[in-house]
Amino acid sequence: MSTPTLDIQNLTLGFKGYTGFTEVLHGISLSVNPGERVALVGESGSGKSVTARIVLGLLQELRTARIGGSVRFEGRELDQLSRRERHALRGKAMSMIFQDPTSSLNPVFRIGDQFHDVLRRADPAISRDAALERAAAILAEVSVRDAERVLNAFPFQLSGGLNQRVMIAMALANEPALLIADEPGTALDVTVQAQTLHLMRKLVEEHHTAVLFISHNLGVVREFADRVYVIYKGRIVEQGATRAVFEDARHPYTRALMAAVPRLTGGGIPDIEENSPDFGAPLEIHDAEARA
Amino acid sequence: MSTPILELDAVSKTFGTGADAVHAAQSISFAVNRGECLAIVGESGSGKSTVANMILGIYPPTSGEIRLDGSVLPARRQLEHRRAIQLVQQNPLSSLNPKRSVGASLRLALDVHDIGASSERAKLVGALLEEVGLPADFARRSPAALSGGQRQRVAIARALACQSQIVVLDEPTSALDVLVQARVLKLLNQLRETRNLTFVFITHDLSVVRNIATRIAVFEKGRMIELGDTETLFANPAHPYTRRLISAVPVVTREEAALRSSLAAGLEETTE
Repeated sequence: MSTPTLDIQNLTLGFKGYTGFTEVLHGISLSVNPGERVALVGESGSGKSVTARIVLGLLQELRTARIGGSVRFEGRELDQLSRRERHALRGKAMSMIFQDPTSSLNPVFRIGDQFHDVLRRADPAISRDAALERAAAILAEVSVRDAERVLNAFPFQLSGGLNQRVMIAMALANEPALLIADEPGTALDVTVQAQTLHLMRKLVEEHHTAVLFISHNLGVVREFADRVYVIYKGRIVEQGATRAVFEDARHPYTRALMAAVPRLTGGGIPDIEENSPDFGAPLEIHDAEARA
Repeated sequence: MSTPILELDAVSKTFGTGADAVHAAQSISFAVNRGECLAIVGESGSGKSTVANMILGIYPPTSGEIRLDGSVLPARRQLEHRRAIQLVQQNPLSSLNPKRSVGASLRLALDVHDIGASSERAKLVGALLEEVGLPADFARRSPAALSGGQRQRVAIARALACQSQIVVLDEPTSALDVLVQARVLKLLNQLRETRNLTFVFITHDLSVVRNIATRIAVFEKGRMIELGDTETLFANPAHPYTRRLISAVPVVTREEAALRSSLAAGLEETTE
């Protein structure tokens, strides 16, 4: 078995605040293999976004955060890297796509210059012209035809869908081993969202990029991921191959979550509890073979 | 059949003039019957919010008429018109005054519309909260001390406080988690029945609409391109854009995926 791109073991996180210590993650274990698309799905406050931020090494900078457990990236323990080494990973070996593309791009620089900055992280000597050429090539991969206009534009001059594609292209520009996508496309219209997901899927397949996909939208997860982890209140409650989890949900929380999604085929609004003691049931793991 | 509670007759809205004019809504006509839930679906820029704003009287139509119970609504609305048509917005945190307690926000609606004797109003506030499934003592809390679902329930209670007949729901559950969404939709259905309310439900979420609307109006680029009852529209969408919209919805079951791909297959035939 090859080394997983990302291997999280028994990760805990707490915040020290005025009112004492709040524990947010209670020991999360998950792994993403090279080229694999893995989804972490849960509701707001479940701990999915903080997990992503720990992997990127962003929460470690926060003095009130207490982090335990192990996060290994390509076999290296993140905790043992210096700040500088961790900084060097971001944007190069791992990158991230955020929910709202327009606000995650810098509003006062042209897209082309922002691409130049991103490419310089991998190759500090790259010239502006070479960067723009490379940028145009990646943009073509996300079906942006008039790359010249886009590279010359400021983010506010482009539509949300176009900005999202620019974000995806930028995130993949340095051929990262791991892409973290936090609710990508949630801010977009459904037809644009469907198209964006399709492009992103095609691109990560071609580039053999591992993806940790953070989402609350079960439908999007079903379409995108190979494997799914369901997170509830800082604990993983169910994990397995996407098909297994969707067609044979075993944990009471996963079942409730699935049942709560309104169906395109109708059937009315289901009667579901927002909270139940059953949701605290132990972890359900599907199939050993999908974990290879 | 009786007079529709709300009618739009060739309603248009144009922002700006000359070459810069934006035709946000173009000759929209439909009628909403008392007690139904009419959904307006479309993507951003389709004109669905423009139509909602005109129904609410936030701005008047450039041309055309909006009738409430058969009588034309004036550009400048009277208190009684405002009372009849109320709004629930997407984000309850920004629609509730953060410096007012929940009870004070509800009380204000009762005071403005002079509902109940002033000595009774505190009791009415409690009753409203209980009607939307919250404990009466939530009146003392500030909106910041509530969860998203609880806030949206307060926003619904506020819309009901002035005994409205029509509630315009603008993406009321898009900001909520899916378990909370199910509960709020359930509550809306129940209120529509017990209070004989009429809903105009603005959303982009077709799976929600499929399960709550009696009829659906599909908007694209300022025009209404299709209107039909929910079952018929999903069984046989006439317009290619409607098919495209339905087949883009992310789904969770095989049955839904099958429905989607059958619509997408039809789409290719029509576009060729």
